[in-house]
Amino acid sequence: MSGVEIAGLTVIGHDGPMVKPIDAAIAPGRTLAIIGESGSGKTLTAKSLVGLLPRGFRAEGTVRIGERTLDLDAAQPAWRAVRGGTVTLLLQDPFTSLSPVHRCGDQIGWTLDAAAGRRLPRAERDRMVAERLAEVKLPEHVARSFPHQLSGGMRQRVAIAAALAADPQLIIADEPTTALDASNQAEILDLLRTVQRARSLCVILISHDLGMVRGRTDDVLVMRHGDVVERGATATVLADPQHPYTRALIEADPTMTISPQPAAVSAPRDEASPLLRATGVDKHFGDRQVLDGVALDIAPGQIAGVVGESGSGKSTFARCIAGLESEDAGSIVFDGVPLAPGRRSRTPEQMQIVFQDPYSSLNPMMSIGAILREALRVAQRPATEVAELLETVGLPAEFARKRPAELSGGQRQRVAIARALAPRPRLLICDESVSALDVSVQAQILALLMRLRDELGIAILFISHDLAVVRMLADTVTVLWNGRVVETGTCAQVLTEPRHEYTALLVAAANRENTAPTLDSPKKD
Amino acid sequence: MTAAIDLLSTPTRRRRRRPSATVIFAFAVLAVAAFAVVFGGVLYPDAMRQDILSGLLPAGSPGHPLGTDELGRDVWAMTVAGAASALIGPVCVAVGSMILGIVLGTHAGYERGWLDVVISRWTDLLLALPVLLAAIVVSGVFGGGYWVTVVLLILLFSPSDIRIVRAGVLEQSARPYIEAARMLSLSRWRVMFRHILPNVSTLVLTNVMLNVAFALVAFSSLSFLGVGVPPGTPDWGRQLTDNRAIMFDNPAAVIVPAVLIILVASAVNLVGDWAGQRLSQVGKAL
Repeated sequence: MSGVEIAGLTVIGHDGPMVKPIDAAIAPGRTLAIIGESGSGKTLTAKSLVGLLPRGFRAEGTVRIGERTLDLDAAQPAWRAVRGGTVTLLLQDPFTSLSPVHRCGDQIGWTLDAAAGRRLPRAERDRMVAERLAEVKLPEHVARSFPHQLSGGMRQRVAIAAALAADPQLIIADEPTTALDASNQAEILDLLRTVQRARSLCVILISHDLGMVRGRTDDVLVMRHGDVVERGATATVLADPQHPYTRALIEADPTMTISPQPAAVSAPRDEASPLLRATGVDKHFGDRQVLDGVALDIAPGQIAGVVGESGSGKSTFARCIAGLESEDAGSIVFDGVPLAPGRRSRTPEQMQIVFQDPYSSLNPMMSIGAILREALRVAQRPATEVAELLETVGLPAEFARKRPAELSGGQRQRVAIARALAPRPRLLICDESVSALDVSVQAQILALLMRLRDELGIAILFISHDLAVVRMLADTVTVLWNGRVVETGTCAQVLTEPRHEYTALLVAAANRENTAPTLDSPKKD
Repeated sequence: MTAAIDLLSTPTRRRRRRPSATVIFAFAVLAVAAFAVVFGGVLYPDAMRQDILSGLLPAGSPGHPLGTDELGRDVWAMTVAGAASALIGPVCVAVGSMILGIVLGTHAGYERGWLDVVISRWTDLLLALPVLLAAIVVSGVFGGGYWVTVVLLILLFSPSDIRIVRAGVLEQSARPYIEAARMLSLSRWRVMFRHILPNVSTLVLTNVMLNVAFALVAFSSLSFLGVGVPPGTPDWGRQLTDNRAIMFDNPAAVIVPAVLIILVASAVNLVGDWAGQRLSQVGKAL
């Protein structure tokens, strides 16, 4: 008997069942995807399989991994014998899942010791650690490195090496790439796939990202509010979803739909008079140069995308334009008027910004109505227009009485957009405004932004690390890399014929998520 | 897309917690103390009347449930009448020093720059002074008196308030909602006092309550040392000093005010903690 069999797995919390009975079977060398949004119970399911449920939760059902039947109610000492050798969990965030004060080699070694049930002799342990590192394509010297000396992608490889160390039969990967940059995500997933095939491992891949799941998994379970709403072979489910929720998820995912190029509403593109023209913008933080001669033009009514990875300077650039940060050199001209660095030279009617984190961008002590009234007062608009503002962003007027804590992330982001729209700005800066949201909510906010551009003729500077999202929305794309513009042009131009190798990498990463199924057609057993 | 909205909404629930028995008891203690502060003087206008003929009586004597002191003054009447001077001062100190803390701390934390440097060094200087010693020296030089002591303690209590408010403001200032307020070109005062201050109100309230308890003890200590409340005024700290000598003849004369100081100080702390927790729930989910 090999493979994994799960029958009637239930997770019970304080207020009754959080995850309703799940049945699944995974053959050796195959991958099961569990898809769902935050709160769907996918992570609880994963944790129940490794005995790491939070206090107050317990699991029921039968789980067989290889020859071993798990006792889901077992005490922690019993679980310790199961974890590592039989089943192992690969966590989301490689930045916190490794111990910062221990060398990577030691952290892999612990799992080896635990699996062997004794302290391995140093030479043998070093040899095994080197083998595991080679398996995840890391050089041997990484064993002596501390996690902070490695990049996010390398850290996640170390975590995979540690997870594989004790030869488990089942790996549960809980959003293993969400914390990584686009170009790293695909590599990590492909690595996981290679290792899995080589070792005939069973893998459960938990994700909210359909693009990731496509082509990298064999079967899929779609979960919502603790229920499995749809299941089947990944290709079948994605090609022909039966449940409306699955359809909503697929529609919402930017990588799953063929980019509906904005129907070139292209407001009269007068090259001579851009709404915003930034040239040669430089910015240092101490000794570090974050922006080096960055230039960008935005025409009235245009959506300009700026793409780059974390640390590329894209947020700093947006903040310089907004005046929240002062550039060291360069010029920013808005509608023909040069703006001095800093907020004082700018008015609320010129531009507004929507931030990434909807949870901290609204004052928690103020009601939605008070937040919007304040913004309206700035523009000398009557307070009665609160309802109108809420309607513009697709929220009912009753929301004025609520406090931010009563709203979901997507609703808060709508309120943040409504506040930004209150002074009727001509430019809206979106700094990663959709990256903290679930895919379906993300799609709603993107649709809202496009509608605002069409209806209000507002220009949008859209900052993102996600090329797939930018491609859906933007007219032009500027690619930032290490504080420099490496590529700029219309969306179609940059995406179809990238000139810089970094852009090519980004495009390839975004496309791979789309095209993978043709390279790899799984069949159901 | 509307279908998706319905599909993806998750219900949230709110839970209300009732105050514990300890907190209810603390509230009761404060209510009784507040009653004594307001009506103590009215109930016993001549609490300080001496009756040398009867002299010292132990607790339980007819007409004097807690006995009398050496000068024949009724301990119960003095204790009730003494609540006002024992409690008003500390409350003024805690509130006054917090007003200083809010004004200076908010500016230091939000404006930064030279203002922050000046204010921060000033608090360092004040923090380096031992509170009681400084109070004794200043009272000695300026002749003391109740309200001199209040002003002095406000000054000496303010640095910790300034620091705490400054740290809270500093933390809030970096939040996106403050940057959004800056994007609306709101005035500095509006950002500081409408946006930031309510979000540090938990810190403010908790600290005021803590300081009431500290000031209560500090006042009693000063009265005990003979610098806070002038002789002839009913006051708990004063009672401790005056009745030290008769501790074995009428223990109630010392124990009652001492226990009350401890009880009120603890009650203020408990209520402060409870209110702080309640307040920090406002604006939070679940």
